[in-house]
Amino acid sequence: MKNNIDKKNQKQNLYQLIALLVTGALIAVLAILLTALGNPGNMGFCAACFLRDIAGAIGLHGNPLVQYARPEILGVVLGVFAVALVRREFKAQGGSAPLTRFILGFTMMIGALIFLGCPLRMLLRIAGGDLNAIVGLFGFVAGILLGLFFIKRGFSLGRKYNQKAVEGVHLPAASLVLLWIVVFVPSLLLFSAEGPGSMHAPLLAALVAGIAAGVASFVSRFCIVGAFRDSFLLKKVTPTLMGVVALLVVALVGNLVLGNFQLGFAGQPVAHTEAIWNFLGLALVGLSAVLVSGCPMRQLVLAGGGSSDATITIAGMLAGAAIAHNFGIAASPAGVTTTGAVGFGFALLVTLVIAVVYTFMLAKNRVIAKEEVAAVGEKKGLCAQDD
Amino acid sequence: MTKDSDALVDVDVTASAAEVHVLKSYVATFYSQFGALSTQKELQKRGVSAELQPVPRALSSSCGLCLSFQHDSPLCLEDATDIEDVYQVTADGYEGLVIF
Repeated sequence: MKNNIDKKNQKQNLYQLIALLVTGALIAVLAILLTALGNPGNMGFCAACFLRDIAGAIGLHGNPLVQYARPEILGVVLGVFAVALVRREFKAQGGSAPLTRFILGFTMMIGALIFLGCPLRMLLRIAGGDLNAIVGLFGFVAGILLGLFFIKRGFSLGRKYNQKAVEGVHLPAASLVLLWIVVFVPSLLLFSAEGPGSMHAPLLAALVAGIAAGVASFVSRFCIVGAFRDSFLLKKVTPTLMGVVALLVVALVGNLVLGNFQLGFAGQPVAHTEAIWNFLGLALVGLSAVLVSGCPMRQLVLAGGGSSDATITIAGMLAGAAIAHNFGIAASPAGVTTTGAVGFGFALLVTLVIAVVYTFMLAKNRVIAKEEVAAVGEKKGLCAQDD
Repeated sequence: MTKDSDALVDVDVTASAAEVHVLKSYVATFYSQFGALSTQKELQKRGVSAELQPVPRALSSSCGLCLSFQHDSPLCLEDATDIEDVYQVTADGYEGLVIF
């Protein structure tokens, strides 16, 4: 029987690996297509930038350069929601330190807007030859390792709980409403006339690309932060990391073929060359993302699948984007401002305080009781019970 | 009640010989990575070899890592932190044992 189990496991692992490779390659292809269709350079897909644009479109911030209700984001959420329902995997769950997650979503966005991109865009920028993103990658890894330092010593936001289905429907419902507004009453929204917000692929293409990327990410559980985190924890290259590499390779090849590859630090699209901030920005993203268990893109996918914890994190990201742009914290191609440096410092400090408090200052939940396991074990005839 | 670290030994000593040697495969999922890591350490301290691995897609979960181990009962998980579900690995897949 053991052989059978092993064979079955091997087969499942192989399917899982293929799903992750396909997802990575698919997201790369979609990102390149979306850039060709009008999205900003090396920004075919970016969860953080696009959420920031949505925050601008609904007037949460007043930066006229980055306002657009990105259909990609709506597509991800709605696509995941639909496929989760069809596969009967929709689970409304949450209640794991929601307000702390809000804050960590906030700080994750501050970090992303100091670097100018989420981990997904970091990969796309590297694939476009933007060496600033390599600096960012080192920061990202450093942030993840710092997060693991806390996790190994006891960091946990606590357990999640099953909730009423409606708790998991809020974000898909909001996405549907926003999509309806985009299509039928766009005059309600703000649209950038210039800058990155004015550059976008046609609505339908963006929506379909979002749906495809979301569905693939949900089915394969693609996650850039998880890829690095688990590889460090397991001390081996996980299938998810191979999916990330697939994304990078396919995007790189695509950019080379289309002539979009431009190696260097200076003059990269929607990027700045301040190495320290590229490093620190993504370090904060890595740290925050490890603490909330998932990069910005993964939060969208989880939220579509019913996680109210992820929905709260996304709300935090929207708030972070609004504050970052209203108070001039977000970086621009010109670099990071003094206000940006101070704002970032606060965000990093808050994240570290949360990490320390949840690691060292709270009692751990020991939620499994010996009696409960014993009772279930006995019922199933699984174990000889003596005490 | 015995001390935590003695619990496993109790089962070994008092269960009949036949039962002691029937090792079954289990997979435990957790609400947090720390839960998986600390439980792995705890099991290893008790002489149970437990391996961290990505959660099988069929089970899915929040933290992404699960603990795979072989033992004659899932009782060795009695003090696990942040544990979500325990499954027995069977020829047909995964059979849920404890659902919270």
